[in-house]
Amino acid sequence: MKIWKISIENIKSKPLYTFLSVFILSLSSILLLGIQQIKKSFEYQMEHNLGEIDLVIGAKGSPLQLVLASVLHLDNPTGNISYNEAKKISKNPLIESAVPISYGDNYKGFRIIGTTNTFAKFYNAQIEQGRSNEKPMEVVLGNAVAQQLHLKIGDTLISSHGLIENNIDVHSDKLTVVGILKPTQKVIDRLIITHLQSIWDVHNHDADHNDSHNHEHEHKDKDKEITSLLISFRSPAAFLTIPRKINQTTNMQAALPKFELDRLYKYTGVGFQTITAIAYLILAISGIIIFTSLYKMVKERSFDLAILRTYGASNFQLIKIVAYEGFTVALCAFGFGFLFVKIGFKLIFKMMNADDKMYMLQELPYQDLLTIGVSVFTITTTSILLAIYPILKMDISTILSNEK
Amino acid sequence: MIHTEHLTFQYKKKENVFSFPNITLNQQENLLVLGKSGIGKTTLLHLLAGLLKPTNGTVMIDHVVINKLVTKQLDKFRGENIGLVFQKKHAIQSLNVLENLQARLYFSKKKIENTAIETVLKQLDLNEFKHNKVNKLSEGQLQRLSIASAVIHQPKVILADEPTSSLDDENCKIVMKLLIEQAQKTKANLIVITHDSRIKPFFQNTITL
Repeated sequence: MKIWKISIENIKSKPLYTFLSVFILSLSSILLLGIQQIKKSFEYQMEHNLGEIDLVIGAKGSPLQLVLASVLHLDNPTGNISYNEAKKISKNPLIESAVPISYGDNYKGFRIIGTTNTFAKFYNAQIEQGRSNEKPMEVVLGNAVAQQLHLKIGDTLISSHGLIENNIDVHSDKLTVVGILKPTQKVIDRLIITHLQSIWDVHNHDADHNDSHNHEHEHKDKDKEITSLLISFRSPAAFLTIPRKINQTTNMQAALPKFELDRLYKYTGVGFQTITAIAYLILAISGIIIFTSLYKMVKERSFDLAILRTYGASNFQLIKIVAYEGFTVALCAFGFGFLFVKIGFKLIFKMMNADDKMYMLQELPYQDLLTIGVSVFTITTTSILLAIYPILKMDISTILSNEK
Repeated sequence: MIHTEHLTFQYKKKENVFSFPNITLNQQENLLVLGKSGIGKTTLLHLLAGLLKPTNGTVMIDHVVINKLVTKQLDKFRGENIGLVFQKKHAIQSLNVLENLQARLYFSKKKIENTAIETVLKQLDLNEFKHNKVNKLSEGQLQRLSIASAVIHQPKVILADEPTSSLDDENCKIVMKLLIEQAQKTKANLIVITHDSRIKPFFQNTITL
């Protein structure tokens, strides 16, 4: 017979209260852990997707839109910029590498990016099968694209205009798959990569067709346009000079992806904060429930506790009985919440990954886990301390005399 | 061995002072304390058990003046040397019969063999119910369990407060027999405090408050 055994038996003797305590405390743990997990995964995914891109240059407009479109490939581009002007900027010695990208087409909803071979280096993406694209009209597929569309080396595809899948505005030129990239868990997994020239060619040919319908289109080299220029810096000093120079002296805009994403987090942060606040509120409520459960036990079973004192138990041992009971409930609830979040998220991400390889579950950082654990522990301890107060004030003689 | 001297007690915020006659019991001597309700019987029992501290006088059990002990020592002393039987049949609700006795031994910090528990359970006719939760027991079984809890740790003194007042004549006899028998077996002093004059025949020493 041990103290904890009595605590466990006490817990078992009131299943409803125990269930309620564990349930509500798990709920708050799940919310706290879950929201933190989502936030971390979301932020990590965003930053992970940046690869080594320090700066993006594109047409004037919303900088956030530019970053979303050209770096995360989520939004529509702001417009086009002149290829020649972009080339001028890339000669700056502070720039390590500058990669032009151009788009406007998709294949079955996956964006086709016209770029150079340096593009894959931003994401450390390596060829899994085949080779990299050398000539125009050759494409390399991101891993998720190949998986989901069941495309192999040698397959051909016909792009459609715009960024959304459609059957109406279809180009006539065939693109040939020459390579497939290894999975990177980055945004490149969902892209189709081709040479810049391909994009120009596709649109040029179409322009020829259109010419026959008396539409005027000219595509001379000096008029060539790209969507944006992705840049990685050689030195941090560039952060101070280059963006300002571009924004002030050219008709293009420069956006810093990390900075824009931080702004985005601030918008989305309100939602996270609200849910976190609700979770803490539920945590406080679960504290009250645990307190009620223990306090009720101490009050209703004051005779039992007084009897234990006549058995030779010290006040401290009685406090231990109550404390173990509270901590057992808290530990179960937190453990259950933790497992629920772990397993739940694994399942959710597995389901999501079935059609979208872009999301990746992040382990919850140790500090966050600790913070949440400490909060749960603090609430429980407070409840226990409040509940044991009657034990300290207990007058055994009075309790035993009032038995009749 | 139990000895009290000039024992008085006054409850806080109350005027009347209880004063009790001196009691001296040698080994294996039993005592019946009779008195009407409100005369301070339970107070005397609580003084003897160290649950209350006397205003004046001393309570000596086995050569230890228990009213001089600090709370912690008193808890320990009570656990080891005193067995209490109450009118209300008591036991820890969340535990079963066996666990109640084990808990009793755990808190009294006495190492007592499982066979001793078995023996007591058999003597008190509880062996077949030992895995029953307390709330599944009948009145009589519960009464026997409370006696078992009072004697299992082989105390020096068994104090019983109105153990028979709610029982019919037959059960009254059974309970008194059990108490006296158990006291003899553990070589303890038995002090019964009651207003129930039916149990007079069981005692040689009687005092009336």
